[in-house]
Amino acid sequence: MGRRALTWLTARADNPRVAISAGPRGAYRDDVLVQAPVLRRRRRSATARKESYLAWGLLTPTLLVILFLVAYPFFSAIYLSLQDKMVGAPGRLVGLDNYLSLFRDEVFLRTAWNSVVYTVVAVALKFVLGLTMALILDQPRRFNNVFRTLLFVPWAVPVVIVSLNWRWIFDDLSGFLNNFLITFHITSDIISWLADPRLAMACVIAVVVWSGTPFYSMTFLAGLQAIPKELYEAAEIDGASLGQQFFFITIPRLKTIFLTTVMLSTIWTATNLQFVLILTRGGPASRTEIFPHLAYTTALGARRLGMGAAVSLVFFPLLVVLIVLLTRRMLRPADE
Amino acid sequence: MVRTTSGSRRLLKWVGNGLLVVLLVWTLLPFYWMIATSLKADREIYGFEATLYPHRPTLAAYGRLFGTTPFMKYVRNSTIIAVGNTLLSLAFGCLGAYALARLRFPGRSLIARGLVVTYLVPPALLFIPLFAVMSTLRLIDTHQGLILAYLSFSVPFSTWLLMGYFRSVPLELEEAALVDGCSRLGSLIRVILPMSLPALAVVTFFSFTQSWNEFLYANVFVNSVEVRTITTGLSLFIVEDVFFWGPMMGASFLSTLPPLVMYLIFQRWVVKGLTLGAVKG
Repeated sequence: MGRRALTWLTARADNPRVAISAGPRGAYRDDVLVQAPVLRRRRRSATARKESYLAWGLLTPTLLVILFLVAYPFFSAIYLSLQDKMVGAPGRLVGLDNYLSLFRDEVFLRTAWNSVVYTVVAVALKFVLGLTMALILDQPRRFNNVFRTLLFVPWAVPVVIVSLNWRWIFDDLSGFLNNFLITFHITSDIISWLADPRLAMACVIAVVVWSGTPFYSMTFLAGLQAIPKELYEAAEIDGASLGQQFFFITIPRLKTIFLTTVMLSTIWTATNLQFVLILTRGGPASRTEIFPHLAYTTALGARRLGMGAAVSLVFFPLLVVLIVLLTRRMLRPADE
Repeated sequence: MVRTTSGSRRLLKWVGNGLLVVLLVWTLLPFYWMIATSLKADREIYGFEATLYPHRPTLAAYGRLFGTTPFMKYVRNSTIIAVGNTLLSLAFGCLGAYALARLRFPGRSLIARGLVVTYLVPPALLFIPLFAVMSTLRLIDTHQGLILAYLSFSVPFSTWLLMGYFRSVPLELEEAALVDGCSRLGSLIRVILPMSLPALAVVTFFSFTQSWNEFLYANVFVNSVEVRTITTGLSLFIVEDVFFWGPMMGASFLSTLPPLVMYLIFQRWVVKGLTLGAVKG
């Protein structure tokens, strides 16, 4: 290749017309690398600098948001958790005192246990119910579109409204549930759904499941519909039963979606305080108290900002694991 | 063998139909109760005469809602904040995503990673220090404050989602535009955006509904009625006056409509956006 060829090859980054007329992209890449490494690098670095200024310019608003609204508050939460700061008063550094006193606190320990039960049970139920829903909607049926739209509706309803609505359903004297049970003579006693220490947590979880299941069925259904039908046909010819088809085709094919969905949902379920705040306020006797709600009442009810920050951070190490795994997963298809 | 599979398939179909009915009842019952309550007179709502359906439907609860509560003010505030947040997320998201998808610069993959991490950090962790930030900036009790706070989750999400989508727009199209003398920004607006309408729809949907539905920040950063949004306003009904379920259910029904209507319009793309990875649930 002569000198002229060299220049038009290296000018490619600046002049896309050349790139287009040069045929399929990448066809000449090896030549460039072999024949003009030095020239190429110099030419590139000029445009590269221009590109990178433009890139940082375009990213400025996003970076400001990340820095000031997430990164700074996050680190300041850590700093805050090491102080005995109250609302409206300067704080004093107390080291790990906040954390240490948490682990001696009975309410906190109960909260820790509640949070685990709440998250695990809610996620498990949403998973099972979501998979059932997705499998049903994947069966051929008339008006399936309508059914799908209806079953996914809870997902679009604000969580506050979901909680208020269910609180009214659970209402002792006039709520739907007791009203229904008494009208049809299933029970004669009034059941205090949200005030009974044995029932409160189950009721809260039921609401969480109602509101969160559609997210699972949506992702699962999309996964089911992406499985090539030929796989099932081939299995059928080979004499596989429906159960075998389910366990050897469906489940393995959905594994990635299962993992991503469960991890995302675990983060959001464990850190959502709206259900508890509106349904029970952590009661009765801390039976439904979970981390985010305890942090909320400590920081804003008792006005102990430092302690509140400590409560919200105690469960963060667990979340970090999920966040790291998820980040890797969510960037995989797109990022190099 | 084939006969048995088709037999069990028929059985499964009936099981499926049965379960479908159960799931529909479970899903729709709360809506029924919400709407039924909002159409009852107080006499049918409370006490021994409480009914399972409105015997004498009336719009009185809605009258009280509009006549005696600041509901319309809440609607106005929620709308201002949700629309403001949506516009900013779209703008910031498009610019940032273009840089990440199309420009080469050092630190690119680090920022992409930072975006996802940012999106996954839960608000429950940030609201206490953010409260301090908002107080310092005197943004407590302002629309701007809430719009800003909501950017913390809507911008990372929209940038990340758009980044993935922009990458799928063929490079050749953009190169052709650049040859014709388009600037980088020009090609973003004239080539990439028109081809990314589904992604823009998803971003619009999520920014709007997440702002509309948000409760924690709205509750912590706003005290005044003049700025209060629907979600916090509604939850106050219950503390201020326990015997308020009629108007409250009416208000719940009305405030569910905007996200619901958007969901019905956008559902095709939204479900696609979901499979792309992540949506709050």
